[in-house]
Formats: sequence, structure tokens, C-alpha cells
Amino acid sequence: MLKIHGLKKKFGNFHALNGLDMEIEEGALYGFVGPNGAGKTTAIRILTGLLLPDEGTVEIAGKDALKYREEVKTEFGYVPDEFGMYDNLKVWEYMEFFASCYGMTGLVARNRCAELLEQVRLSDRTDAFVDSLSRGMKQRLCLARALIHDPKLLVLDEPTSGMDPRNRMEFKAVLKELCAEGKTILVSSHILSELSQMCTDIGIIDAGKIVLSGSMWEILQKVNDSNPLLIKVFDRREEAIRLLRQDPAVKTIAIRDSDIVVQFHGGQEEEAYLLKNMVDAGIPVSGFIREQGDLESIFMQITNREKGKVVLTSEE
Amino acid sequence: MKNNPVYRREMTVRSRSLRMPLIIFAFNGVLALAALLNMYQTIAQVRSSSTIQYSTFLDLYAFVATLEFLLLMFIMPALTSGSISGERERQTLELLFTTKMSPSDIIMGKLLSAVEQLLILVVSSLPIVLLTFVYGSVDFRDLCLLLICFTVVAFYAGGIGILFSSLLRKSTFSNVCTYGVLLFVVVGTYMLNIFLLNLNQIQIGNMVLQPGMERPMADTGLAVMTLLINPVATFAEILGNQVSGGASILSIRSFFGSNNGSFLIRYWIPLSLAVQSAVSFVIIRSAVYCLNPVKNEKK
Repeated sequence: MLKIHGLKKKFGNFHALNGLDMEIEEGALYGFVGPNGAGKTTAIRILTGLLLPDEGTVEIAGKDALKYREEVKTEFGYVPDEFGMYDNLKVWEYMEFFASCYGMTGLVARNRCAELLEQVRLSDRTDAFVDSLSRGMKQRLCLARALIHDPKLLVLDEPTSGMDPRNRMEFKAVLKELCAEGKTILVSSHILSELSQMCTDIGIIDAGKIVLSGSMWEILQKVNDSNPLLIKVFDRREEAIRLLRQDPAVKTIAIRDSDIVVQFHGGQEEEAYLLKNMVDAGIPVSGFIREQGDLESIFMQITNREKGKVVLTSEE
Repeated sequence: MKNNPVYRREMTVRSRSLRMPLIIFAFNGVLALAALLNMYQTIAQVRSSSTIQYSTFLDLYAFVATLEFLLLMFIMPALTSGSISGERERQTLELLFTTKMSPSDIIMGKLLSAVEQLLILVVSSLPIVLLTFVYGSVDFRDLCLLLICFTVVAFYAGGIGILFSSLLRKSTFSNVCTYGVLLFVVVGTYMLNIFLLNLNQIQIGNMVLQPGMERPMADTGLAVMTLLINPVATFAEILGNQVSGGASILSIRSFFGSNNGSFLIRYWIPLSLAVQSAVSFVIIRSAVYCLNPVKNEKK
């Protein structure tokens, strides 16, 4: 659905994008993550036609988005980080205004607006002024606005910032519904826990290029493999530590409360053999688990540029 | 234009507000009062001296026309200079760019709704202007010429406002620049010509004349052409021709010196209207160009 290749953009001496490559499959809910200044908004502005790159190609629904800017406009809907509201319009007027911006008028526009307001749970506020809506409602209205022309790709820049948990949940539910309907969604956000709950794919951008991308499952698996093993023994802790020292995959051993925390560089098979060895040696193992990784931890690892820290790369 | 979404939205918002009906009511109320007082004065004069001074009706015409001209000249920029920058401040401009709206659709929607707003005011006051028709001396052609002048000045002043609104991020800054440029166009061109006329008068005054030679009249040379872009000069000429037989405080005739019968002065009104229309066109095209989000970037 979206293919970005070798995208470069310079502002003065600052390389906002430095050869960005990205691909989003049809029907994916793609989380676009990166620290401030990594180039997320620049990339989004380029793919929505608000900015031209210095180099590179952007393809939306098989069309060259840089060459056929006007044709591509019907293929995507854009929700910016700031809502862009006309406070002095009523909700239905706001929707019909944007419908007419895509050439939709009359009954077709009215029906489409009603359908979308129903979908974003705003059908009871159609006669309210936009000004009177809460932040969450405004965000959902903005989402409905972006869907007015039934685009295949939806681009959302920090959509849930400033929302309360309830509105966030509702917004997430709407996004999942849209994804189930077959829409491809690109969502940039800083709230990583949220992205990990709803996204099917993820791309982490840093210094203008994608440093890690893949399906959410693959990425979390990578995080898990690099996380320490937490081993609990009922008794004979010293003997357990001696045994662990003999294993070549064990890098460091630490004691945290009642747990033995082991930096273990091995896969699931090596883990299984280590557990077998401990049990065979008669050590009463009461717990043996990988510490659960999350998107935050991998994000911190990747985007941390201090020397001596573990840095995961997509080749790992 | 009815299909332009920006124009339709502006109309919707305006029709909801009480501001415009109140302005129309107040404006026409003042004009009607002035007209009634004028008529009362004329009748009182007839009663006391048995003479009618028809020129008072022309004064009323000149008063209404001048008021409307000033309104267009100085309110139009206020309506347009914040229109695009306002969209930018509300963060809605980028949303419009991602739709199928082109920069020219946005500019024309904004400009035409502002022009229409003020022309409604002008048209609503026509019955009072037309009171002069009862006594003659101003005819339908004069009125049409005045309306053409109003339309040109509306696009001209509105165009300058919308150009700065497209160029600048802040409405306040755009407002200041618009009025600055208008002031330069209106006052600056007159000041330039007055300065050059005085300079020429001094030079002529210092000339040693041969016997029998007449002292030439001072003029401003080619600098008089700068007044072609000054809508006040055009309006002053139109009103001067219609009301006082060519005499007007702001008349450009004094700048021509002895070339008073030249082609330029004979066709000053159509020429200046044409020049101002052309300048308006260039200004509006420039505004469209400035609004294009990817105008100066290479692919």
C-alpha cells in the first residue's frame, strides 16, 4: 500500500531524513515510532504531499505520490497532530465542508457524513458546534473527516496525545475496526504501550532512517531474546550459580531479591537445556522465565546513543 | 463559485453572524439620515428663498460614493489580510492542501466572499445614491462607472490583503504589511508627484525667460504614471467628472502641467482601471503561487 524508498530531506545542514526506506502492506496497522526530531513528521508531510523530498520515491496504492500528487490525494486521509477545526461550524457542516472539498455533494455527501459520524460515535452531536466538543470528540471528528472520501490509507500523526484514557480506548477501538474493514493505517505515536497493543507492524525511525521494522510479534520476540532470564530456586542457590557459570551462553549473573538474573545469549533451545541441566543436578527450580520485553525497552535500547549500551539492530 | 467549498463555508459562517446585517443597517441608517436631512435642508431653502440648489443632491451623491469607496478601500484589506493566515493559525490550511482543493480555489473562495460581503453593502445603499436621479445630472452610465470602480478597488485592495495573508504566517503582521503597502500606493504616489511638481515649479521659477516667451506650467513628467496604480486618483477623477466638472482636490490634472490635453489624461479613467485590474490579477496570481506548499522545492 505504501512504499518509501531512499527518502532524503535536508533543512539547511540538518538531515531530517537520511535514506528512509519503509513498506506497509495492505490492511496493516503500522506504528511509526521514533524520538523527537527523528524525522517522523517530515516523512508524513512528504507522503501527504505537503513537502517535497530532496531524493527518493514514495508510492501510495501503486502510484508515484511525488509525480501524481493530485491523483494520490484521494488514496489517503490525513489526521495531523493538531486537529484543524473550524470552531464556528456545526459537526455536520464541518463534515459536509470536507466532503465538498473532495467533490462530494448532496445526498451522497450527507449519507457518507452520517455513516462516518455513526462509526466514530458522534451521531448524537451532529448539530453541536465543533467548538463545544471535547478534545477526544474533536479527534474522532478529525478521524471521520479524514475518512470522508473513503481512502485506502489513513495517516495519523500523534493521534492520541492529550486524550484521557477513556477517549484513548474508544479511539483505539475505532482504529481496530477500520483496520478490520481493510484500511491500511500508519500511526505515529510516542505512547508505545498503546502501539504495542493495537499495531500489527512497527517501524522505528532514528536520525532519519528506519532502524528496526517488522511485525509486532517479531519485534517483541527480539526484545524477549535479549532480555535476562529470571530464575527462582527453592534451595541450593550457590550450587545453581556455580552451574550457571559453567554455561557458555550465560554472560552475567546477578541476584535481585529472590531471583537469579541471568544475561543469557541463547535461543529457546539453549534455555531448555539450561533448565534440564539444573533439574538434573537436583536444584529445586521454582521459576524459570524470560523477563517480558515491551516496545518501550526496545525503543530505549535503539534510540539510546550512549557508548557501551546494548543496541539491537534489525540484523540481530 | 457556488461550488467552491471555501466560498460556501465563508457564506455559511457569515449568514449565521449578526454582524453583517447590523453593519448594513447602521450604514444605510446613517446614509438615509444624511439624505433626509439633505432633503429637509433643500425644502427649507425653497420655502425661505424660493430657489432650489440642486447641487446639494450631488453633494449627497458624492458623500455616499466617497463613504463607500473608503469603506471598500480600507475594510477590504481587513477582511482578506487575515483570511489565509487565519487558516494557517487554526492549522486547517494543511488539511485543505491534502484535499482536492487547489491553492487558487482557496484564494478565490476567500477573496470573492470578502468582495461580495462589501459589494452587498454598496448595492444595499443604491436606493439612497439613486435619489440624485430624481434631479438629474448623474445618469445610469455614471453609476455603472462608479460600480466598476468599486469592483476594481475591491479586488485590488482585497488582493493585496490576500497576498500578504498567503505570504506571512501571522495575521497581525499580514494586516500591518497590507495597510503599509496601501498607504504607500495611495499616499506615496501622491507625495511623489507633489514633491516633483514643487521641484519643477522651483526650476521653472528660476528660469530666465526670453522676451515674449511664456513661463511653462510645472509638471511631474513620467512620475504621473505612478498614479495609474492609485485607486484614489481614479475615484477622484470619476467623482470630479460627475459632480464638479473635473475639479477635485485630489485631481491628477495639476501634475500634467501644459500637457492637459494629452491622451493619458483624456483616457485616465479607463486606463487606470485597466492598469489596476491587471495589477490585481498579478497580485492574485502571486498569492496563489505563494500559497502552493511545494512551490520552491525541487523534486
